[in-house]
Amino acid sequence: MAFLLKKERRKIYARRVKGFWFEFSHKKIGLFGLGLLMFFAAMAIFSPWLTPYDPLMPPRVAEKFAMPDWITIFPQYRDYPRTIDITPYWSVAQGSELVKIEWGRKPVLEYLGGTTNTVHVILNASFTYPYKVPPKTFWFKFDRVGEQIEKTQYSLRLSILDLEGKEYKLWSEGPSSRTGTLPVNVESGGWELLKQLGLDPTINLAGMIFTKPSEYYLLLHAYFTSETEQASCKIGIEKFKFTTLGLVHGLLGADSFGHDVITALIYGSRISMAIGLIAAVLATSFGTLVGVVAGYVGGRADEVIMRINDIMMCVPDTPLILTLVFIFGPRIENIIIVIAIFGWQGLARVVRSHVLSLRETAFVECALASGANKRYIMIKHLIPNVYPIIVTTFVLRVPGAILREATLSFLGFGDPRSPTWGEMLRSTFAFGAYERLAWWWIVPPGLAITFLCLSFVFMGHAIDEIINPRLRRRR
Amino acid sequence: MGKDHVMREYIVKRILISIIILYIIATLNFILFQANPMIPDPSTAFIESNMERDQIEMLLELYGLKEPLHIRYIVYIRNMFTFQFGLTFVDRRPVVEEMKPRLINTVILLGASLMLRIPIGMAIGIFAASKRKTKTDAAIITSSLFTHGIPAFFVQLLFILFFSYYLSLWLGFGWPAARMTSVPPPTNPLAYVADVAWHMSLPLFALLVKGFGGMALYTRNLLVDALSQDYVLTARAKGLSERAVLYKHALRGTLPPIATMITMDIPDIFTGAMITEFIFTWPGMGTWFLYSLRFPDYPVLQAIMFISSLLMVVMNLIADLIYGVLDPRIKVGQRR
Repeated sequence: MAFLLKKERRKIYARRVKGFWFEFSHKKIGLFGLGLLMFFAAMAIFSPWLTPYDPLMPPRVAEKFAMPDWITIFPQYRDYPRTIDITPYWSVAQGSELVKIEWGRKPVLEYLGGTTNTVHVILNASFTYPYKVPPKTFWFKFDRVGEQIEKTQYSLRLSILDLEGKEYKLWSEGPSSRTGTLPVNVESGGWELLKQLGLDPTINLAGMIFTKPSEYYLLLHAYFTSETEQASCKIGIEKFKFTTLGLVHGLLGADSFGHDVITALIYGSRISMAIGLIAAVLATSFGTLVGVVAGYVGGRADEVIMRINDIMMCVPDTPLILTLVFIFGPRIENIIIVIAIFGWQGLARVVRSHVLSLRETAFVECALASGANKRYIMIKHLIPNVYPIIVTTFVLRVPGAILREATLSFLGFGDPRSPTWGEMLRSTFAFGAYERLAWWWIVPPGLAITFLCLSFVFMGHAIDEIINPRLRRRR
Repeated sequence: MGKDHVMREYIVKRILISIIILYIIATLNFILFQANPMIPDPSTAFIESNMERDQIEMLLELYGLKEPLHIRYIVYIRNMFTFQFGLTFVDRRPVVEEMKPRLINTVILLGASLMLRIPIGMAIGIFAASKRKTKTDAAIITSSLFTHGIPAFFVQLLFILFFSYYLSLWLGFGWPAARMTSVPPPTNPLAYVADVAWHMSLPLFALLVKGFGGMALYTRNLLVDALSQDYVLTARAKGLSERAVLYKHALRGTLPPIATMITMDIPDIFTGAMITEFIFTWPGMGTWFLYSLRFPDYPVLQAIMFISSLLMVVMNLIADLIYGVLDPRIKVGQRR
């Protein structure tokens, strides 16, 4: 018997949901909102697959304020370079029979000894720079590995040739006889490097070298000196990476640090949605609970709850939220709780007034007469009857929470461990995106916040029209 | 006569409740800033490591921090309700004096915004309601929802990007993106006013674009709701023109909630434009609050919180009373 009732009830629920969905599917604005929401949800769920970079430790993938790369369809940006990232193939330019050379992407030079003169070998690697516009920065990184060094001193020198054949010494080491791995990381804008080359520290070295689309050469000079003929030395170059930073990059360009913008945008959706939804769930459930209890239990409980509500209504929320987040620390859980604390009052009031009228109805009195206790009545009769209000309020509370969080992050009270859209907008404001007209960095996070909020507003509008039939006349 | 009596009793009761609420908020304020184990003692905000012992004593004396907590509490409550907010930690000047110019700056900006936003929003809302069920109405609803949903700071940032930077790129001049006056400010008073107005125009415009939507939507929905009421039907049945029905009957019914909404917006003048002021570096209450929060300058924070709570309480009270005056259906005092 009980089972049948349960089944029956489930059927009724299913029919209700179906009916709701039927009506909802005829509201264009609601469907549009749902579509938007799905888009952002997909973004949040699939973010690790949508972008290869880590949002918390983003790599430098392009020049500062690199534009989006689809901008090259416009003629004035056609020749802008993308980021080139290569591991060059080294070959021998000048060898020696005393040095065994393994060429390739991981060259190894093995000095065999046998003379007391200095032995000089040169490796070269070529690569193509295909863009008309020179880059502003290049760098290279590699690990120099020294092994089996006996009674030998080596010096290494890495240089690059420009088109006129002029050699720029980018890095050198030695003479030394150190073994082990030395990570080398040289950037063209480095002050030390420019000073070594005798150049003005403000000069654009990359621009001086890569003047035309052409083949360019890297040279690696190695000198080996030993005092006796019985000597050996093995030098390897590993993980060599040569990079010229592009002036255009990815779908949405780069920010003031050369980090990918779209990565931050995609990961930002997670925090915004999580905070918005959780805070709204907390606020709505608390508001409902409080409203039902105040309305149904009445008496002292009602009085206390309503006075607290009155007080909360008179508290300036923005400054207080900021203060609370400041005091308790900008952590996500604190932000969620603080936002939720300031979101339940209105709902509690409305639910209470509904419950006040519901408690006088016949079905509640019937339930009471047949021995139901207060808790049962509240859960089984009252809450289902205020359900429409709860759902609408919930949907309309989410954008409020999202906006609050964005505001907090924008003002610098966000969680520093989590990238959010508000945080992005804060960076644009703090790091001079406006002087550089970096619209690709400023506009997307703002639009994302707007559309995420709008998706809930639209859905809320549609749901409101369906479940509050009185409003249908508005149309 | 009996009605007057009830009314007076109601008002007195409401005022008493408001004072109690204010007292509770002030107490919470005290707990939050001075008796909170989560935050460092207020004195750490101004004591520097290179200070002499007697210097510290003097400062503690100056801020009244030498007393035990319960005495401090009593002094604090007395000070709050007599508007003596003490000295700031930052430069040891009276909070009230520091507040005056900032309050004026904020009121200039937000007062202007409120003054313009209400008539513009209402006009658009009435227009939409008079064109209800048409494309115009739908367009107004959509654009209002859009401007309502778009974050305020984003609108302002876009305005800065476009009006201050793109325009200066294309036209050679742009709107000022920061501060209230040029640096240095003009000495001629007329030029000074013009300069402030010029600097104010962009944040004001941004506030209006952001703010009209909510007002328009609210007015429109109230009005459309009112137009479906029985008394409007009666008015139509009497043969009144659609115009007269709309303005004389339906609009009258929407005034109380609109007045309530406006009164509830007024406390925002005090603190609500924190982000606008932050973005445009407007030297008002909002930027002051943010600056003081970073310091943290408790006397300032307490004062701002207390005054804005006071405004909220007073405006709540006024809104309640307005309801009784503007809406004759409600008999104040007989509600509960």
